[in-house]
Amino acid sequence: MPPRPKKYICAFCRQNVKHIDYKNSKLLSQYLTFYRSIQSRFHTGVCLKHQKQLATSIKRARNMALLAAVRYDK
Amino acid sequence: MQKYEVLAIIINSLDSKKAADQAKTSISSHIKELGGNVVFEDFWGERGFAYKINGEKWGYYFLAQFELDRDKITELKKDWNIDKNLVRFLITKVEAHMGEPRKYEELKKEWESTEKERKISEMGKVSTKKAIKVADVAEKEEIKEPPVEKKEELIKEKVKETTVKKEAVPTKPLEKEKESPAEKKDIIDKKLDEILEDSSLDL
Repeated sequence: MPPRPKKYICAFCRQNVKHIDYKNSKLLSQYLTFYRSIQSRFHTGVCLKHQKQLATSIKRARNMALLAAVRYDK
Repeated sequence: MQKYEVLAIIINSLDSKKAADQAKTSISSHIKELGGNVVFEDFWGERGFAYKINGEKWGYYFLAQFELDRDKITELKKDWNIDKNLVRFLITKVEAHMGEPRKYEELKKEWESTEKERKISEMGKVSTKKAIKVADVAEKEEIKEPPVEKKEELIKEKVKETTVKKEAVPTKPLEKEKESPAEKKDIIDKKLDEILEDSSLDL
């Protein structure tokens, strides 16, 4: 029997992150697609607890104009 | 008393000093009037928007943390919505696990350092393997190096060699420069004659 593949651990769980700040726009922008929509959990590989926190903090950042809601060419 | 955090955008038609004063008067003092107390204040300064708000491209950002009764938040929101100098504001609850408030520059440094750690941890096995390899190589090199006494001797020899070379190097090119093309021809002719006259070589 081949060995079982290792289970992927969420990037935030590995660092023991308790709270994702909405002011940290650089971190949040890593979890956006090309058209600035929120990436799904399938693509980010983040656990459900942290994915929910991510989504809320991204929405807050959008509201305060720290992140763009739509991609547009300058 | 619940702890809250507010991030507000102040209109860009004011100067930076006036904007800071405006933030203190309209936000901090207003909270105090309602019976709360401001714990933390930080004026970020100018900052560009990610998209245009009312045709404007930038504004002043102001962050504050305060304690207030839950019922009076609605009053605050009403007043701030009427205020023309406030473009936007966002009130969020502050929990115990979020840590103490910090200034924006300190926060930035912290975020950068955590991001680096995360990248390293994502590399995972690769980084550890590299570290092991480097350690092995270092050990081998240490073994190869001769003891201290021999080292000194080697260094002395090297110094001598270098000194000799330094003396030799400048003389050679000077001689070459002195030789004119005609002299060079003579030297080559002589050498050729010597080679031809040699009986040991069967040409």
